[in-house]
Amino acid sequence: MLDLAQIYNGYYFEKSLLSIMPEAVLIVFAFLILLAGLFNSPSKNSLNSYYLALIGIAFSFLYLFMLSDHTIKGFYGSIIFDKFDVFLFTAILLSGFLTILMSKNYFDTRSVLMPEYYSLVLFSVSAMMLLVASLNLIMIFLSIEFMSICAYILTGYLKGESRSTEAAMKYFVLGTFASAFLLFGAVFIYAATGHLSLYKIHNFIFKQNYKVHYAYNLHTFLAIGLILLLVGLAFKMSLFPFHAWTPDSYDGAPTPVTNLMATGIKIAAFGVFIRVFTSIYHFDVFNFYNILWILAILTMTFGNFAALLQTDLKRLIAYSSIAQAGYILIGVIAGGYYGISGTLFYLLAYVFMTAGAFAIIIMFENLNLTSVDIKSYSGLGYKYPLAGAAFSFFLLSLAGIPVTSGFMGKFFVFSAAIKSGYYWLVFIALLNSAFAAYYYIKIIVKMYMIDDEQPNIPNNYNNMAAAPTNGTGARASANGETGLVKEKAVPSALLIAVIICLIFTLILGIFPQPFISFASKSVTSLWSI
Amino acid sequence: MNVNVNVNDYLAVASIIFCIGALGVLIRKNLITIFLSLELMFNAANLGFVAVSEYLNLISGDIFVIFIMVVAAAEAAILLGIAIAFYREKGAISMDKANELKF
Repeated sequence: MLDLAQIYNGYYFEKSLLSIMPEAVLIVFAFLILLAGLFNSPSKNSLNSYYLALIGIAFSFLYLFMLSDHTIKGFYGSIIFDKFDVFLFTAILLSGFLTILMSKNYFDTRSVLMPEYYSLVLFSVSAMMLLVASLNLIMIFLSIEFMSICAYILTGYLKGESRSTEAAMKYFVLGTFASAFLLFGAVFIYAATGHLSLYKIHNFIFKQNYKVHYAYNLHTFLAIGLILLLVGLAFKMSLFPFHAWTPDSYDGAPTPVTNLMATGIKIAAFGVFIRVFTSIYHFDVFNFYNILWILAILTMTFGNFAALLQTDLKRLIAYSSIAQAGYILIGVIAGGYYGISGTLFYLLAYVFMTAGAFAIIIMFENLNLTSVDIKSYSGLGYKYPLAGAAFSFFLLSLAGIPVTSGFMGKFFVFSAAIKSGYYWLVFIALLNSAFAAYYYIKIIVKMYMIDDEQPNIPNNYNNMAAAPTNGTGARASANGETGLVKEKAVPSALLIAVIICLIFTLILGIFPQPFISFASKSVTSLWSI
Repeated sequence: MNVNVNVNDYLAVASIIFCIGALGVLIRKNLITIFLSLELMFNAANLGFVAVSEYLNLISGDIFVIFIMVVAAAEAAILLGIAIAFYREKGAISMDKANELKF
C-alpha cells in the first residue's frame, strides 16, 4: 500500500485532487473510452470500451480502499471524502459494476454497438459519487444535473424505439422541473442564511442566529427554502407525490439503464438527502419530521397499491422501488446512529437484490427480445430451473422474507424506528410489507404455474435451459469480429452478475454483522448524529 | 440607482416568474414551450441569487448563477437532441404524442 500520509502532506498533490480521486479516475477512464473510439471499428470498440469501463471501476475501487482511512476536504470545503462516502461509494460502484456487466449482453443481442454507452455510464457513476460527497448547494446542484443529464441520454439510448425516446423526454421534463425547485429552494435558503455551504447553514440554524439586519422574515424564508429543497430531492428519490417520472422512465429505458437508475441514482439521492437532512432538517425547526412521516406512509402505500395493478414486469419493479424508497425513508426519519446505519445497510442490500432481479429480467428478455409482460413468465420456472429459482430468491428478498438481505434491511430500519418511538409508522410499514409480498409472490406463482395457453417462448431457445441447469455454464465466447455473443449460451457476464448478487443477498441476510458495523462506522462522520 | 427597490421585491418578482414557469410546464403541450418555461424557472432562481448576493454583499450567489447558466445551456443541447429523436418517431413534438407509456 502507498504511504498516503506522505502524499497527503506533500506539496505534489493538492488535497483537493486527492479528495475526488475515486471520481476522477472514473472520469479519466470515461474520456479514455471516448478517445479509444477513434481508432477501431465500432464492434471492436464496443468490446474494448466494455473492458476499459470495468478496469475504470476496478481502479476507482482501488483508490477508494487506499484512501478509506482518511478524511479529506477539498475545493474550499465543498467536497469531502469521509467514512460516509466510503460506504456509499462502495454501493454506487457496485451498482455501476453490475450495470456494466449486464449491459454488454443486452446491447449485443440488440446489435447496438456504441462504445460511448460505457463512458456515459462511468460519467453518471462518477456524478453519483460527487453528489454523495458534496457539502455545498452549488456542488449538489451541479452533480445532480451531471448525473441526470447522463441518465437522460442513457434512457433514450435505444434509437428508433419510440418507448425509449418517450421515456427520455418525460424524464427530462420532470427531472429538470425538479432541479428548478431545488434551485429555488437554494435561493431562499441563501436569502435566509447567507450561506451555501451545508456546514455553515448547519451552524446558522444551530445557533438560531437570526440577525435583524435583514428586512424580511427569515424564519419564513428558511421554511420556504427547506420545503422547495425537499421537493427537489424528493423527485430524485421518487417519493410519492413526486414519483410520476419513475414508472415511465424505468419502463422505457434499456433494462441495464433501469438498473442503474433504480440502484445507483436512488442511492446517490438518498445519500445526499441524508447529508442534507442531518445537517439542515435535523433540528426540526418546522416540524419536518411530520412531513417526512406522511411522505413515507404515502410513498409506501401508493407504491404497493400501484405495483399490484401492473402487468408489465419493469413497471412493477418501478412501483415496488417507489415502495422501497418509503421503507428507506423510515430509516432516515428514525435518525440517529441506528436509523442512519440501518438505512445505509438497506441501500446496500437493495443494490444486490434489485440488480439481481434486473439481471434475470435481462436474461429472460433476451430469450424473446420484446416482452417483459408477466404473462410471458408463466412456466419459465420449469423451463429454466436455476434462473427461476434465483429470480424467486431476489423477489422474496425484495418482499423481505427471512434469510434474505431484504429482511435484514427491513429489520434494522424498523427496529431503529421503534427505538425512536415511531410505533405507528412501523405498524403501517409492516402492514405494507405484508401486502407487498402478495405481488412479488404472484410472479413466482406465475413462473411455476403452467397455464393452458402456451407460453410464447420460441422452441429453438429451449436448449438455453441447459446452461443455467448444469451450472457449469456454457460460457459466452465473445466473437471478436462482430462483438456478438454466441446465441444459445447464457452469457458469462450476466451469469457473473447474477452469482455476485445471489451470494451477497445471502451473506447480507445471514451474516449482516460485518456490513452493519461497516455502516455504523461510516455514520460517525456525519454531523449531529 | 434606485434604492427604493427592496430585496424583497426582487424575490417577489422571482417567485412570480418561477410560478409562471411552473404553470407553463404543467399546462403547455409543445416540448419547446415547455423547455422555455423550464428556462424561466431557472432564470427566476438566477434573479433571486443575484438580488440576494448583491444585498448581502456576497459573491457566492453570483458564482452559483454562472454555474446555473452553464447547466441550462447543457440541458438545452440535450433537450434538442431528444426533441429531434421524438419528432422523427412521432412526427410532432407535442406532449400529446407521448402516450405509449401509461400507468
